[in-house]
Amino acid sequence: MLTILLVDDDTEFTEVACTIIEFLGHEVLTAATLQEARDWLTKETFDHVLLDFMLPDGSGAHLFNEIDALAKQPRVTLITGHPSVKEVIKGLCGPNIDYLVKPIQREEIEAVLSTKSKPKETEDTITKHFDLLIGESPVMKELYKLISRVSKTSANVMLLGESGVGKEVVAAAIHRASESEGPYIATNCGAFSKELIGSELFGHEKGAFTGAVGKKEGVFEQAEGGTLFLDEITEMPIDMQPNLLRVLENKVVIRVGGTKTIPVNCRVVSATNRTMEEIAQSKVLREDIYFRLAVFPITIPTLRERKQDIPLLAKTFIEEFNKDNGSSFKWDDAQLDTLQAYDWPGNVRELRHFVHRAAIMSDPDGSSIELPKTIESPFAQKQSTAPALQAGRTIEDVEKELIYATLEKVNGNKTMAADMLGISTKTLYNRLHAYGDLSKDD
Amino acid sequence: MTNDELAQLQVFVHDARKPLNRISMQAELVKMALNGDVPADKALLALDKIISSAKDCSAKLTDMTTTMSQHSSASQHDK
Repeated sequence: MLTILLVDDDTEFTEVACTIIEFLGHEVLTAATLQEARDWLTKETFDHVLLDFMLPDGSGAHLFNEIDALAKQPRVTLITGHPSVKEVIKGLCGPNIDYLVKPIQREEIEAVLSTKSKPKETEDTITKHFDLLIGESPVMKELYKLISRVSKTSANVMLLGESGVGKEVVAAAIHRASESEGPYIATNCGAFSKELIGSELFGHEKGAFTGAVGKKEGVFEQAEGGTLFLDEITEMPIDMQPNLLRVLENKVVIRVGGTKTIPVNCRVVSATNRTMEEIAQSKVLREDIYFRLAVFPITIPTLRERKQDIPLLAKTFIEEFNKDNGSSFKWDDAQLDTLQAYDWPGNVRELRHFVHRAAIMSDPDGSSIELPKTIESPFAQKQSTAPALQAGRTIEDVEKELIYATLEKVNGNKTMAADMLGISTKTLYNRLHAYGDLSKDD
Repeated sequence: MTNDELAQLQVFVHDARKPLNRISMQAELVKMALNGDVPADKALLALDKIISSAKDCSAKLTDMTTTMSQHSSASQHDK
């Protein structure tokens, strides 16, 4: 709750504004003149002053000095009838003052009173679907549809997707969309030793094993009525899987060392970075478990399948960075194009780290971001370059591969590639023509 | 238009914006009443005030046109 001083000489306006502001949960005092406002400022402390610019006994600007001199400085929002006055005031009193231009709407009042001093520059706000997911590409829209469909049911969901595509975020989105009463509990099946995973999932009774000094609820019990997210399900030791199967089948758990069956009721969302074929072939997951968990399998698209979302994501990440660090970095369009051209084998996670790294490397007082000349991660190396030099390949083959590898390294810049290869640009073009990679007029 | 006339026009516009601001706020109140956030009878009162503010605004605009046209005919006489 804020204490607000509303200074305006139009009593009908102040009366209604008070009703609205009080409804928003704040306390309001009103003043119709500069003199009344001064009296209030000496008697009370305020969090926020809404100040009309034109008052019967002078301009609202006269109050600035007095407000500056106060021990606890309230935020100031000027109410002005003239949009043009805005610019003048901005010059006078810097960026820490908001403006409202008459006629005023309730949303505008809410916006200035919301405690955070929001940077107004974010012209196009980015929608977060389910408050979590960013992206407007067709593949993501399809994903949103799946999420909202499955959230209406209680089906178990298996999320498939490469590392870094945001499986945990999607799991949280499913939980949010299902509006269940219980909590969202996440655990990583790959993070526990064989001995401990049983106790993590199903809990244990006091004295069940050495070190079990108290009893413990497992994640199935903790997620009662909510969602249990089992990450890296395929890393779960195969001999633990029958225990999991029994829980999924019978909807009851028995704590390690216990005898009592405890009913459980939660949606299980599991995730893996393996493809369905891999799961089937490598036998990391028992078939019966797979069908229990993947009642509704969802494959999350990779970032390179939705390149149009890269600018949205990059903007979001830089805004997050700005918020945390008080900086004001901004992308220019060419940089966003560069980001969009890259394939991001590490997906959204790689993009986020790349954005943060670039922001850290940039001048903290400026607004431009310095991108490294090339984007690469140690995990991004194409497999093809590793076994390049093996006997039995023709020189022509190796040459072709080298040319493509070089081009990729310099983001397709043919002059730079030719330079690195030690051949003329003309030769490079000739080779590419020969590979059928360039049309005649290119 | 002379500087004097411009200043006068600005005063009129400022005065006309006042009832508009009242209308806007009263309309918000009606919205809240419809949502059940404030008692319904407040809405009726607010609507009455909206109507009177609309008339008020219209009167201000009439004032403005009368005054400004007197001004312009006066300045034409001067020539």
